[in-house]
Amino acid sequence: MNIFPEAVSTYAHEMDKLFWLITLFAGLGFFITIGILIYSLIRFRYSPQRKPMTFRGNTFREFRWVALGMALLAFADFYVLYDEHDTWDKMMQSVPEEKDLHIAITGRQWNWIFTYPGPDGKLYTADDVIINEPNSTIHIPIHKNVVFDIRSVDVIHSVFLKEARFKYDAIPGRTITKWVQFHRPGKYELICAELCGVLHSKMRNFIMVESEEVFQQWLDELYAGTNE
Amino acid sequence: MAKVQALDYDVDKYLEEQGYDDHFHEHEHGDKYKVSFISKYIFSTDHKTIAKQYLITGMAWAFIGAFFSLIFRLQLGFPDMDLSWLRPILGGWININSEGVGSLSPDFYYAMVTIHGTVLVFFVLTAGLSGTFSNFLIPLQIGARDMASPFLNMLSYWFFFLASVIMLLSLFLESGPFAGGWVAYPPLSALPQAMMGSGMGMNLWLFSLVFFVVSVLLGGLNYITTVINLRTKGMSFWRLPLTVWSFFVTAIIGLLSFPVLVAGFVLLLLDRLLGTSFYLSDIFIAGEPLHHVGGSPILYQHLFWFLGHPEVYIIILPAMGIVSEVMSTHARRPIFGYKAMVYSIIAIGFLSFLVWAHHMFVSGMDPFLANFFILFTLIIAVPSAVKVFNWITTLYKGNIHLTVPMLFAIGFVSFFISGGLTGLFLGNAPIDIQMHDTYFVVAHFHIVMGVAAFFGMFAGIYHWFPKMFGRYMNQTLGKIHFWLTIVAAYMVFWPMHYLGVAGVPRRYYTFDSFVNFSQFDTLNQIITIFAFVGFTAQLLFAFNFFYSIFYGKKVSERNPYRANTLEWSAPTNPGHGNWPGKLPVVHRWPYDFHKNGSDYRPQYVPLDPDERDVH
Repeated sequence: MNIFPEAVSTYAHEMDKLFWLITLFAGLGFFITIGILIYSLIRFRYSPQRKPMTFRGNTFREFRWVALGMALLAFADFYVLYDEHDTWDKMMQSVPEEKDLHIAITGRQWNWIFTYPGPDGKLYTADDVIINEPNSTIHIPIHKNVVFDIRSVDVIHSVFLKEARFKYDAIPGRTITKWVQFHRPGKYELICAELCGVLHSKMRNFIMVESEEVFQQWLDELYAGTNE
Repeated sequence: MAKVQALDYDVDKYLEEQGYDDHFHEHEHGDKYKVSFISKYIFSTDHKTIAKQYLITGMAWAFIGAFFSLIFRLQLGFPDMDLSWLRPILGGWININSEGVGSLSPDFYYAMVTIHGTVLVFFVLTAGLSGTFSNFLIPLQIGARDMASPFLNMLSYWFFFLASVIMLLSLFLESGPFAGGWVAYPPLSALPQAMMGSGMGMNLWLFSLVFFVVSVLLGGLNYITTVINLRTKGMSFWRLPLTVWSFFVTAIIGLLSFPVLVAGFVLLLLDRLLGTSFYLSDIFIAGEPLHHVGGSPILYQHLFWFLGHPEVYIIILPAMGIVSEVMSTHARRPIFGYKAMVYSIIAIGFLSFLVWAHHMFVSGMDPFLANFFILFTLIIAVPSAVKVFNWITTLYKGNIHLTVPMLFAIGFVSFFISGGLTGLFLGNAPIDIQMHDTYFVVAHFHIVMGVAAFFGMFAGIYHWFPKMFGRYMNQTLGKIHFWLTIVAAYMVFWPMHYLGVAGVPRRYYTFDSFVNFSQFDTLNQIITIFAFVGFTAQLLFAFNFFYSIFYGKKVSERNPYRANTLEWSAPTNPGHGNWPGKLPVVHRWPYDFHKNGSDYRPQYVPLDPDERDVH
């Protein structure tokens, strides 16, 4: 069963795996606790003859089952924490040394603005190319480390590429640098996940992931100003 | 109502022998509490009347908030529906196009979403829940005649009322109330140019909530002082009912966290009105650069969530206390793990201050720092789970009367389990990256602190209604209310988890731009239909509530549930002062059911010669 959107970035599968691990623990917890609850409701319903027990959990002997539940939960917690740590580190804490493509992505009411490095290959120089229109599509190469500088010019927005499990806020006055590597070609929606005003739900652009050659061709057209 | 077995001793006779009687001694208390219509029902200093005022104001807000949720659910489930019939109520909030078809204007869609969140979190589940039951139960359960300061208590309600009036006024502004989401993140909330609701609506919203915090602080100070100082003879801390423990810790959390929110709001007001730059920097709106430089919107998020996370425990702890009390009484069984319950309330209260930034994993906060918040978030699951285990063990081998309050208490536990477990997903930062700001979050917090807290509140209302009004609520209507509500609530919020996992963002006015999301149209329609079912059930509750105040079956016994706590030793409708004669004296902990062969032993019954007070 896959209830997630297709996983297309390098860390997406790790996140999904973590999700199912927690689902396992949470599912166990759910069925055990709800099971005992329903059993008790049926088995110990009111009857005039029944003498309720009076144990109250003030000795360890009585409390040990609850203590066991606590221990199991704490174990699950730390197991998940251990498992989660690498994924988090990979996604967030270590931006790869090798930046194959460096793009600035800037939120405004209500579309994303993309800044590509110019022919000199460096961002934030005079020859940068800016794409600023609603519903535009940008292209990026597959199997490459793409680094985004995420920014905003007005209110808080949030870059959300659900297939890539990529979501980071765009904060005015700050530049937040995050990376992603796609491993499946396709056209993906880039939407805004943080309420940014009245047209929040119309704020959308596209990302086209394609092979290096096709991407290079698109980039050349971009520099020449001839693509549509 | 519990079926009454033959009592093994006569409580009334016992109380009489001990010198209690049901007549006020004018020379003792008659002078102290003068009563006219206004001082009895309006500017009352009686904690019982103030509790009822909180309850009824809270209910009014609950209906306004729920009505808004129905309208925006209509927009989400049936975006093409003709809403022109709502024009008499909502006026200009409904746009009529050239063909005469009415639709909800997006500005007011966001206004409704925002006001729904604000009033339910603050006015209903903070004031309506904690305000009602802390006020009503603390003095009655610890054996005090009133709060430490009845006047501040009255002031607390009237500040809440003032906050309510300001919020209500903002609904009638031409530009509408605030619309930037209940968290009110700047710059959206700071700049009138950014959104229609960020003009005058936002000023009123901020003023209203500042007055609301004043109300919470006055109330909280009173609850803490009363619990510490006014416990009757013999009522040690280890003999307090779990309700009082939870109200006490809730008040402390509120006192420590709400002022931080006010600080955040004051800075926001300064940014809005005086042109400071606490939260603003490098902003261009509609091509115009603003002069603000050097601030950070993240600062606001930290200040907001420093209250925001304790706030969910401020909401859920009183419900937990009520549920513990109701369960023990209706299962005729001592609460399991009383001390573990108290320690977990305290642990939750303490840990609730260390987890706030788990709301900000995608905000650009230092990712290394996130690890600590993940750790504490997972740790806070442990005391919460202890409480769940203890409730279930309390039911295990009990003698369970499935009365209406008991049903709601069990419903609370089921919601707290389902909602708590989805918290494990959101507490893990890598998964939160995907789930943040999607319907998964909406489902999670509605189940765990919305519906669950409401169920705790209903359990409390049904359980203490006889004490409040001297009459019973109708039990059949109550059971219908329970079943409709639990089914509707699960059917509304369970499917939202799937929407969230699929990446459907919250606070979207429409999904029609997105091919990916249109596959959920049917699911959205089902959710909307069940939202209407749930709302109808609440109308039934409101009818039952108000009808029973005047025409319900009268309470004939002093202690109809054969409960152990002190409020049941006071006469029904005792007037201001609670106990007409002497205050009761406490000899034991509050959960002595089935001890030494008797069905129950109230706290004011002395120990037998060979008996020990163990808990």
